[in-house]
Amino acid sequence: MIKNTESVFEVDTLKILTDKDIALHKAESGFLNAEAFGETYERVSLTRLVPFMNEEKYISVTYKTEDNEWKEIGVIEDIRKLSEEKQKIVREYLSFKYYIPVITKINKITDNRMGYLFLEAETTAGPKKIAVNDWWHNFRMIQNKMLSVTDADGNRYCVPEVEQLDKASVKKLQLFI
Amino acid sequence: MNLKLSLPKGVDEQSVVFSLPFDIDRSAKRTDGHLTATKEKLSVYYNGELCEQFLLEDIMEIEVEQLIGCSMLCVKDALGKQKFVCAFSQKHFMRFAELAKIIEHYLKTGIFTETTDADEPACPKCGISLNGSKKCVYCEGDKGVFVKLIKRLAPYKKQFFFSLFATFMLYAFDVINPIFQRILVDDLIVPNNADWALFFKVAACILVMNLSSVGFRLLQENSNYKISTAYGRDLRRDIFNKTQDLSMSNVAKRTAGELINRVSGDAATLQDFMTRQGKDMIFQTVALVALVIIMFVTNWKLALIVVIPLPFAAYLSIKSFNAISIRYSRVWRCQCRASELLHDVLHGVRVVKNYGGEEREIEAYRKASGKWADAVKRADILWYMVQPPIRYVFTIGEFCALFFGGSMILGGQMQLGELIQFTTYVYMLYGPIQWLTSLPRVLAQAKVSAGKVFEVLEEQNDIRDNESAKDIEIEGDIDFQNVFFGYKAYNPVLKDISFSIKKGEMIGIVGHSGVGKSTLINLIMRLYDPTAGVIKIDGMDIKDISQNSLRSQVGVVLQETFLFSGTVLENIRYAKPDASFEEIITAAKIANCHSFITRMPDGYNTIVGERGYSISGGERQRIAIARAILHDPKILILDEATASLDTETEKQIQDALDRLIAGRTTIAIAHRLSTLANADRLIVLDKGKVAEIGTHTELLKNKGVYYNLVMAQRQTAKLKK
Ligand SMILES: Nc1ncnc2c1ncn2[C@@H]1O[C@H](COP(=O)(O)OP(=O)(O)O)[C@@H](O)[C@H]1O
Ligand SMILES: [Mg+2]
Repeated sequence: MIKNTESVFEVDTLKILTDKDIALHKAESGFLNAEAFGETYERVSLTRLVPFMNEEKYISVTYKTEDNEWKEIGVIEDIRKLSEEKQKIVREYLSFKYYIPVITKINKITDNRMGYLFLEAETTAGPKKIAVNDWWHNFRMIQNKMLSVTDADGNRYCVPEVEQLDKASVKKLQLFI
Repeated sequence: MNLKLSLPKGVDEQSVVFSLPFDIDRSAKRTDGHLTATKEKLSVYYNGELCEQFLLEDIMEIEVEQLIGCSMLCVKDALGKQKFVCAFSQKHFMRFAELAKIIEHYLKTGIFTETTDADEPACPKCGISLNGSKKCVYCEGDKGVFVKLIKRLAPYKKQFFFSLFATFMLYAFDVINPIFQRILVDDLIVPNNADWALFFKVAACILVMNLSSVGFRLLQENSNYKISTAYGRDLRRDIFNKTQDLSMSNVAKRTAGELINRVSGDAATLQDFMTRQGKDMIFQTVALVALVIIMFVTNWKLALIVVIPLPFAAYLSIKSFNAISIRYSRVWRCQCRASELLHDVLHGVRVVKNYGGEEREIEAYRKASGKWADAVKRADILWYMVQPPIRYVFTIGEFCALFFGGSMILGGQMQLGELIQFTTYVYMLYGPIQWLTSLPRVLAQAKVSAGKVFEVLEEQNDIRDNESAKDIEIEGDIDFQNVFFGYKAYNPVLKDISFSIKKGEMIGIVGHSGVGKSTLINLIMRLYDPTAGVIKIDGMDIKDISQNSLRSQVGVVLQETFLFSGTVLENIRYAKPDASFEEIITAAKIANCHSFITRMPDGYNTIVGERGYSISGGERQRIAIARAILHDPKILILDEATASLDTETEKQIQDALDRLIAGRTTIAIAHRLSTLANADRLIVLDKGKVAEIGTHTELLKNKGVYYNLVMAQRQTAKLKK
């Protein structure tokens, strides 16, 4: 009813992209190109819509229009429903965009210096000394299970399941969460 | 900022101008890479091998893009194709951003600057981000919270001295008393000696001591009380003042609940700590040392036995202090989260009611409160577990002293009175020792609170007046010169904004919601400082105008108006505390709220309720407008100020405002474009940039962004009919 008066009022709807709807290529420039619904898009961006709830589900595919606006092509409901090859591309892209090393072991935590927390930990990106400022906000449990850490530089780290860490690490952590 | 941090293997230092390490490769694996730059090209090295080169002459644009956990450097070639150069963790972000800025500058102007005076982003010693401050929090940590706490006692030196003096005197009496007892026992009772003269002398001394101790006790209590109340009052005042002084972005970092916790909770903890423990700390330490000396003088063998376990116990105390203090900081956090939640829910109680969320909130609060209780329990359990053993170790000497003292008497090496005197001292030693054993917990609690309080008190204000900042009389010219701003650096909301507004002009700002209109006026108010560019008022950089003088001459009415719980009168008067009642009514009349105020039973004394909830949104807004009018600002800013009024009322206010704004600069933001019909000029924002500037007619002719906005609104208007 509203639709035929003016395009301004077109209601944005959720477009779920299935495997056959979208083709993805990694371009030489290092970015991702996509083909969907008969159009080619350069330098598309993939975004996890629910990064903390599920890393594999609901991936929004967007592109930049000529006047620098991000538009959504659609949403991939589940990475696992894509073809092997696309899965690989998508995962690789996401692991790059969401570069979040996982903390595997905590050696030491100290706090109380001007609201800073200092963490010495083993991560999937090697041993790190992590300084968290304002740690009240940047060192938080999400859904009582996952620990998300943002350090003073803006790097992110996580522990997907705190209980899965070794006992000594959990014990050290527990005082801070 | 050092932009030649490390070189790829085998590359000569002289051959490159800049060289930065990066640590992430294309497939998000850790790598050891370098990017070098010269006037001709960028070269990318992975593990010391040259992998890719970009000629600067082919590059049109260069930028750093922030992803979620890492960032990347990209270039755009002449065809507008973007290319990935390298990726790095955020540690390197500032350096690459600076490098990109330099190269961008070179591409635009042909000037290649080889050095940069930007601040170092990280501590050169430990590599931890400095976050814009000069001191490294890690290397120059704040070990001295207690020193700072004690320093705050300075204004009450006199009372503190009195209190300390009285305490020492009282203590001295306690120390002397055993001597008289020994004389009574050893010289009078045991030898059955009826020396009355000696007896009366001793009795008189005891009497005098007891009497004067009453006086000293009074002095002590009195001074303590004075220090306690003043210390707490001043601390609360300072924290509160600081929260008022800090900039918007400083304050916005913390929730209201958290700040409330600091102003009242932590201040109370510290007040208690300082008055009770602060003084004790000096007194007990001195008492401890004095007693130990006296004991050694009295009988060094026994004293040695008593003293031997002390260092050991002290060591245990210190050890437990760390464990306990961490637990108390957890208590602090849980308490804070609970009060945060409480504050949030009470604030949004209308939404809770509207959506029937009571049960959910009750559950959420129960959980938070339970977690808090649990944290307290854990801290206390640990405390009660470690305290008795520590105390035991402390007191073990007493048994030994009694045992050996007893056998000495039996062996005739010692007299009974001497042992009594000695054991009295041992008992007295337990005062300081008791206190010592309770110290870890008390210190831990105070340390947590002190840490939080000083964090606020010592926070650097993001927005500071220049040293030369002056109070000026504002005329009303406003100039934006290439202003960039983002709430988070490098995520710009406003890009390269330039315009100038002349004194007395009425300017409308239009644009889609979220484009940055409110942000723009926040900059004029100097709630935030631009990342780059200059804002001038009357040709003067606003950083050179004292914030106070600036804000007192700029008036704002926001869409979301805030009224304090109080009367209508108080709320209007807030803008000008010394306004006469006539002035207030005049303002109210202009803002079109006089008539509805008159209809309310309590007139101007009507209480508007917390946040003004007991009156309607439109009424609230009109009161806010009256407040701004009374303020009589040189620059008036209306940010969707009339959005929740009907067109009729809006028209009336508009007319009144028109009369009022004659001669003053007005900046109005409105969604309803008809509101801006009277504007001299319109500034159209689009995608963070100024898209168009001109009068309504000019812009319509342009058929640009503004034209589209107008057309879209006409459509809606038609639909409504
Ligand atoms: N305090 C803030 N912190 C971070 N981002 C903000 C803040 N305030 C506004 N923004 C963002 O800045 C952009 C511009 O907001 P704003 O100036 O309020 O837009 P409007 O034009 O609707 O007034 C929006 O994208 C908004 O999300
Ligand atoms: Mg706004």
